[in-house]
Amino acid sequence: MTSSTPLPRKSGGKLRRIAGNTFLYAILTLVAIITAFPFVWVLATSLKGPTDAIYSVPPQLIPHQPTLDNYRRVWDQLPIASFFLNSIVVSVITVAVNLLFTSLAAYPFAKMNFRGRDAIFFLLLATFVVPPQLTQIPSFVMAVNVFRYYDTLFAVIFPSLATVFNIFLLRQAFKAVPNDLIDAARIDSTGELRIWWSILMPVVRPSLATTAIITFGNQWNDFFWPSLMLHTRSKMTLQVGLVALQGMFTSDMRGIAAGVVMTVIPIIIFFLALQRQFERGISGTM
Amino acid sequence: MLIIGVFVIYPIFAVVYYSFTSYDIVTPPVWVGLDNYAKLLNDQTFWQALLHSFTYLLVVPILIVLCIALAILVNRKVPGINAFRAIYYIPVISGSVAIGIAWRLILDTNGLLNSLLLAMKIINEPVQWLAEPNYTLPIAMLLTTWMGLGYYMMIFLAGLQNIPKERYDAAQIDGCNSFQKHWYVSVPGLRPQMSFVLIISSLAAIEVFNEVFILFGPSGGLLNSGVTIVLYLWQQAFRLQHAGYASALAIALLIITMGFSILNMRRIEREEVVG
Repeated sequence: MTSSTPLPRKSGGKLRRIAGNTFLYAILTLVAIITAFPFVWVLATSLKGPTDAIYSVPPQLIPHQPTLDNYRRVWDQLPIASFFLNSIVVSVITVAVNLLFTSLAAYPFAKMNFRGRDAIFFLLLATFVVPPQLTQIPSFVMAVNVFRYYDTLFAVIFPSLATVFNIFLLRQAFKAVPNDLIDAARIDSTGELRIWWSILMPVVRPSLATTAIITFGNQWNDFFWPSLMLHTRSKMTLQVGLVALQGMFTSDMRGIAAGVVMTVIPIIIFFLALQRQFERGISGTM
Repeated sequence: MLIIGVFVIYPIFAVVYYSFTSYDIVTPPVWVGLDNYAKLLNDQTFWQALLHSFTYLLVVPILIVLCIALAILVNRKVPGINAFRAIYYIPVISGSVAIGIAWRLILDTNGLLNSLLLAMKIINEPVQWLAEPNYTLPIAMLLTTWMGLGYYMMIFLAGLQNIPKERYDAAQIDGCNSFQKHWYVSVPGLRPQMSFVLIISSLAAIEVFNEVFILFGPSGGLLNSGVTIVLYLWQQAFRLQHAGYASALAIALLIITMGFSILNMRRIEREEVVG
């Protein structure tokens, strides 16, 4: 911690560095092949024509007769567009409401003093330990018997409108805001709601973005709960629809592959567009 | 708060209550006392599921070691490194359903893996990867590891970037080679991330469902070879409508996760005392 002058490199050989970098790239490429190859294979399979072998020894990667027929077939037989629309509706509403609700809930825990505050917060944190599948038995009972929204998109959205995790995340963000800002506003007898909205919310914008990204990703990829709730084709989200597709095209590997490509490509594009924010989002959870 | 109350707090009490009843969701629950728990203790499948879920914990150390190594690699500032990071992250965002299907295409008896191995003459006839009970759990665990690589790598990467550069310089002055540098500086510096990953990945392992469900279907593989606690809970609650029994299962799961968290908290506290 004493000096900030750059130290001379111990081993300065240029040749050694090149060799080291080659080795580094070799490993990086190997891992990249391991992570990406299944997707490449799915893409190749989805483009194969009827005469291209799915299974042959040795395996055939490049289709000789590339075709988009598989995509057309899947698109004609399943409401892929509604799957998409449903997933977007569910995820966007969940994110928007979560931002509002959880930031409102986080504010008192971070910046207001009231009896039992820490006890309640601790109780909330303790629910982290509860396996989500446990809560889904009563949630299912309520969906059928109380709310009667079984097989609607609302059933997917409603239980996830606020999560303890998001409250925790935003509470940490609010806590980091200096008290002086708030005290000044309180002396001016600004209402707590206004303090929350016009002072705190703008300051914690990066944390809000993190929360939004995490919530979006979770909801988009959620499968367990939506699969319990959604049974009508036109109401399915992408994840549930994909499983339906797998059931429908059991032996049609080309069709299944086309379905997977159609559902994965948009989320990959979305991710690449927001890679920076994603990476920040992950580090933000720490 | 109301929503969390309704969907988190209330369900806990409801599950405790259901676990003492016989309940098929449609007709009102009937009190049966400890019957469900007695049944649980004598249920072979439950013990099998428990064993599987605990076996699944093996992915935790594997993930931690692999992901720290990977994070150290991608922390280099070399051209193109962002593209590599992005590729590693693709499985994380693709959703477990799409990934499960992709892997099925590879592991199918008529899939890529068999044709590769046949072409290389490593095997002489196709192996039924997905229909061989001995392979069920290892394959699912492999998939979990593969899916988790990118995510945990990012967490460790964020941790690495918070380690002050001076510490590496100091290590270099002390004559550390680059492996020692990471062993003595990076690894201890990542301790908070390790605790975090340890907690979330072990909870995820104990509660694994998606991977097994998508690879092997609702039955969880031949001869229950891949049945985990959550898969068994799902079968009981939503297939067979045994909500009472499933609740008892859920309580068993809760006791396990609570035990885990207490252990973890103890460990973290101890580490903080030690320094």
